[in-house]
Amino acid sequence: MMITGDRLSFRYPAAPKLALSEVSFTVSDGDFVIVAGPSGAGKSTLLRSLNGLVPHFTGGTISGRVIVDGLDPIAAGPQRMCRHVGFVFQDPESQFVMDRVEDEIAFALENAAMAPQEMQGRVVEVLDLLDLTALRGRSLATLSGGEKKRVSIAAALALRPRVLVLDEPTSQLDPESAEDVLTAVARLNTERGLTIVLAEHRLERVLSFANRMIYVPGGGKGAITGSPRDVVGAIELAPPVARLGKALGWSPLPLTLEEGKVFAGGRVFDIAAGAPRTGTLPVPYLTAESLDVTYASRGNGGGTKVVSGASLRLARGEVTVLMGRNGAGKSTLLKSLVGLVRPQRGQVRLGGRDITTAPVAEICRDIAYLPQDPNALLFADTVMEELQVTLRNHGIAPSDVPVPAAALLAELGLADKADAYPRDLSVGERQRVALAAMMVTRPGVVLLDEPTRGLDYEAKDRLAGLIRQWRDAGLAILLVTHDVELAAAVADRVLMMVDGKIEARGDPHDVLTSARGFAPQIAQLFPGSGWLTVPEALEGLAS
Amino acid sequence: MHPVVWFVWIGAAALVPLVTRDPFSLVIDFAITCVVVDAIRARPFADIAPAFASPLRFALFAVLVGALFNGLTSHVGETILLRLPDAIPLIGGPLTGESLIYGAINGLILATLFSAFAALTLAVPVRDLIAYLPRAFYPIAVVSAIAATFVPSSVRQFQQVREAQAIRGHRMRGLRDWLPLFMPVLIGGLERALQLAEAMTARGFAAGGGEPQSRSAEARRGSSTLSQVVLAVGLGAVLAGGVLRLLPGGAKWRGLDLSLPLLILGATATVWVVWRAGSQVHHTRYRRSTWTGVDVVCILSAVVAVLPLMIFTFRGGPGYSPYPRLALPTFDLRLGLPLLGLLAPIWGLQARQATTQRVEKPDRTGFTAEEGRKS
Repeated sequence: MMITGDRLSFRYPAAPKLALSEVSFTVSDGDFVIVAGPSGAGKSTLLRSLNGLVPHFTGGTISGRVIVDGLDPIAAGPQRMCRHVGFVFQDPESQFVMDRVEDEIAFALENAAMAPQEMQGRVVEVLDLLDLTALRGRSLATLSGGEKKRVSIAAALALRPRVLVLDEPTSQLDPESAEDVLTAVARLNTERGLTIVLAEHRLERVLSFANRMIYVPGGGKGAITGSPRDVVGAIELAPPVARLGKALGWSPLPLTLEEGKVFAGGRVFDIAAGAPRTGTLPVPYLTAESLDVTYASRGNGGGTKVVSGASLRLARGEVTVLMGRNGAGKSTLLKSLVGLVRPQRGQVRLGGRDITTAPVAEICRDIAYLPQDPNALLFADTVMEELQVTLRNHGIAPSDVPVPAAALLAELGLADKADAYPRDLSVGERQRVALAAMMVTRPGVVLLDEPTRGLDYEAKDRLAGLIRQWRDAGLAILLVTHDVELAAAVADRVLMMVDGKIEARGDPHDVLTSARGFAPQIAQLFPGSGWLTVPEALEGLAS
Repeated sequence: MHPVVWFVWIGAAALVPLVTRDPFSLVIDFAITCVVVDAIRARPFADIAPAFASPLRFALFAVLVGALFNGLTSHVGETILLRLPDAIPLIGGPLTGESLIYGAINGLILATLFSAFAALTLAVPVRDLIAYLPRAFYPIAVVSAIAATFVPSSVRQFQQVREAQAIRGHRMRGLRDWLPLFMPVLIGGLERALQLAEAMTARGFAAGGGEPQSRSAEARRGSSTLSQVVLAVGLGAVLAGGVLRLLPGGAKWRGLDLSLPLLILGATATVWVVWRAGSQVHHTRYRRSTWTGVDVVCILSAVVAVLPLMIFTFRGGPGYSPYPRLALPTFDLRLGLPLLGLLAPIWGLQARQATTQRVEKPDRTGFTAEEGRKS
């Protein structure tokens, strides 16, 4: 047995509740294990107990036993465990110590006092293992998201550990980069026999690689462990293929697209059956005409064109989804709509009025913009205070408030959190507080930048519900996301951005299925059907 | 080029303004450092260099301010340009040409030092500088390396927070409005520091250094007591030696000057303690700089460049002073010409560049092929 956990319980210092309670699990040498469960159920805590960060780094009280590679991490501590367990944290930026690829990889070797000649060889080997040889001398700041992730994996592997632990490795990556990173991890597993323990919310991305699963439900309940098929069959959260399989009684339960195709195969669809969801083009409320944004680069005059000739129209009562790879210019385009970045060319109009050069504060009374990191927004002592700060900023008197704060909080499922300290809340709740702080002026447009980062299935469903609710209330919504399943669930129209240009636009089905890596599972399962989500497929199959 | 080359070069370039006030030598030295700064900046694939005020602009400022300050406060000299009313405290009195020139030379000295250090910071990345710290200071080295990456990321975060507050109608009106910007940056910074500490722990970093497991705790404690005693004695000796030197006439014991032996003894003891502490720190370094012939030539030429000036100065050679009556300084070719040897790094940079390009070429084509395949 490579890893054994026996009735493991842990309480963070001064925490009222247990972070882990009586969790037991086993992992064999060479397994690929997924650790799943809702936010706050203790996935990260479980991972950190494998290399002794819990309890050595965090403090707190622990009971039960863990054995990893023949050692007890609780007794050995992280400094000794680092030779046995490589740990890759969620955010690559906050775990980089050095500024260059090779120095970053050598950091653990320096700490281990390895002889310099041997170190050279080890760095070369690890670089090769993760296909990073060409990036060896590059500065970390210049790498893409997927490359950064691979560097942090390489850095964790430098000491040749036998277990590799990854905490949500794909949460910040676009579908294609995520696939690249996961394939690299799977290769380490199959070719090198490395034991992989990986926490992930988006099961559809990882289920095909795993042979074992640990589900941590939280709330004091014990963990469910077993083969992915057994575990997925027993729990609520599941990728679309498995949900469809469950609804239709497919057995054995399909977990991956390939397995699902066995059941779905053979159906031929009349293309016309997939009726387009969008009818006639409604009157646009927010329009952008051929925007160009160039960031000045330091020193030598030139600059990088991040957005070039992008146009878009957002209508009230419609959800537009903007997709594209990391660095395609999506966030910049969003920022140029609210005036945080001023376009060099083009025009932005809101309800017929030119707002290209209007002050940001004025624009944002009618456009709510949720930035990627909602933490950047929150600073007040209570949730209610955050809402009042926005109102004060805009000079709106308490008597003229367009929507009562209490009603808005209830709408966002935060009614009982009005007096809570915002930063103590869960990721999903914090995001909704940030949304509340933007929505309190009752804007006509909502822009959401990557809102699914770190959200579990429940929080994501909640967000999808909110988006639909606002659409029905007549708001114009623009959603930037890497999450194809969320896009499939809410989109009325999809835009695909490539290198600063909007390359494709139109019906969600047409756009999503034509780009590599962006097709939802249901669309791949029933090609040509026009279905994107589980309910659509169930409805379609029934008729 | 090897960082040690830069250390020697800056030592030589900075020595000139420290030992002489001869305007010709200073101007030559300053011009050379400016040219070298330019050459470093023009280097392709340069590291992201910190934005520096141009040495020229700084020199203009320093010379002007230096001249004005000295001219207004020192009233010595025979060439009286004008007289300020005596009633004004401090600056009242004659304004002399000598004091203006003297002040301007002060400014030129400052500017030359500034320009030389600008070259060092541009040429040698922080992490290479750190690599020359004694091993005992390894934790300090890592902390500095982190600081070098932490500062730019904090700046990015501040930018993010500013944008996030702007979109909820935040405007800067008073001191109170700093709070929404300051709080998220502070909390976020602390959170990031904690995450980084965790990541470093997971990769075997311990601030105490991995001490050898074989030695007993008692033996370690004993040796650290010894180190502390030696360090205390060493620093005490340095202090005593320094004080003795300051005493009028020096302190003599049976006719012997004690200050120098004390200083040497103290310094040796301190260095020994640092070395000893270093030998207990179990770390190695990945990055090693390599020596080339170019480096040796650059070092030699830097040393030779300032040698005549040093010899002249120690023999009590002609320094320049505008007092008591302004006179043109004499230009001594034997001092000025060798200074041109300080230009060697420019040639060194070009030579290095040629070899690096040759070595890096396959790498870079490999990279483009990789990119091409992906897209």
